[in-house]
Amino acid sequence: MTLLPRATAKAILWLLLAVPAALMLRGLVGGEALPMDLLHPSGETSVRLMVLAMLPGPLIDAFGPNRFLRGWLSIRRNLGVAAFAYALLHLAIYVIDMRTIAAMLDELGLPGIWTGWLALFLMILPAAVSFDRAMRWLGRGWKRIQRLVYAAFVLALAHWLLLDWNWKPAAIHLLPLAMAWLLRAWRVSTKVTRERTFA
Amino acid sequence: MKTIRPPLVAFAAALGCALMASPAQADGEVTCNSGPKDKWKPMAELRKKVWAEGWQLEKALVQGDCYEVYARNEAGQVLEAFFHPVTLKKLIVYRRGQEIFRAKGFDPAG
Ligand code: HEM
Repeated sequence: MTLLPRATAKAILWLLLAVPAALMLRGLVGGEALPMDLLHPSGETSVRLMVLAMLPGPLIDAFGPNRFLRGWLSIRRNLGVAAFAYALLHLAIYVIDMRTIAAMLDELGLPGIWTGWLALFLMILPAAVSFDRAMRWLGRGWKRIQRLVYAAFVLALAHWLLLDWNWKPAAIHLLPLAMAWLLRAWRVSTKVTRERTFA
Repeated sequence: MKTIRPPLVAFAAALGCALMASPAQADGEVTCNSGPKDKWKPMAELRKKVWAEGWQLEKALVQGDCYEVYARNEAGQVLEAFFHPVTLKKLIVYRRGQEIFRAKGFDPAG
């Protein structure tokens, strides 16, 4: 990232992040995909971006900062905002597919559906405060707000599981995070004991 | 770890209820015991059958050894239904991951 001006790097990043959406919309406009066919890829892309945004934190805690992880961390907020954007695209596709408000309200009470809505609502606040000025204003409170993402992530996985009843894809998306969290917990606990022994 | 907070408990409880409220059957794993494909009725007849249910068909496909249909009923509810490819009998119907119909004696696990 140091080789390119910041603005250029950011533009390239967002161009890349927009590729899956472009492919989905092309399928829809070209008539190869029904709106319902795009619910899966848009939802899954959102979950994947959430995972990518949530990984560098625990990895840095576990391995300490290096160039790669620092670069990753520097684009983390972009990944999070993109995850929210894909959740909005997912919702837009859902609205197109459902056609009427009445049909959407009718299924709002189903566990597979309200978990999705709640996941989306929990993403609103963290996404809304993800610009530099909000970060400065909020100080430590900013981190607390970002923790809502954990709840949103768990709900998104529940949403997936409840619709699909296939635990494997949801579990695969949880696995890297679970490993990073375990690694961090292990590193932190061994560090504490080491410090105690040498104290 | 900090102390456990009430919202967290409420959240976990709601999630637990949601996960238990639905039957656990992966729709990709429904088995119809339908035998060789050359005995299957054509998809065109499946479409007629769906139409006769009063449903609006969105998509019909082969899933494992079953015919699977995505459709909307007269109330506008989104359905995912499995039909036996030989008899075209309606075997099981899901709505957003929840089972809402099962033919008598049918076991989706085969
Ligand atoms: C606005 C609220 C939401 C609604 C109404 C909603 C609705 C739906 C629906 C109807 C499906 C299709 C299930 C099928 O294929 O039959 C779906 C799938 C999915 N959604 Fe959502 N969703 C919402 C929010 C979210 C959010 C925020 C995420 C992730 C961050 C998400 C992730 C997924 C995933 C991964 C799938 C794929 C499940 C599958 O079909 O295998 N959804 N959603």
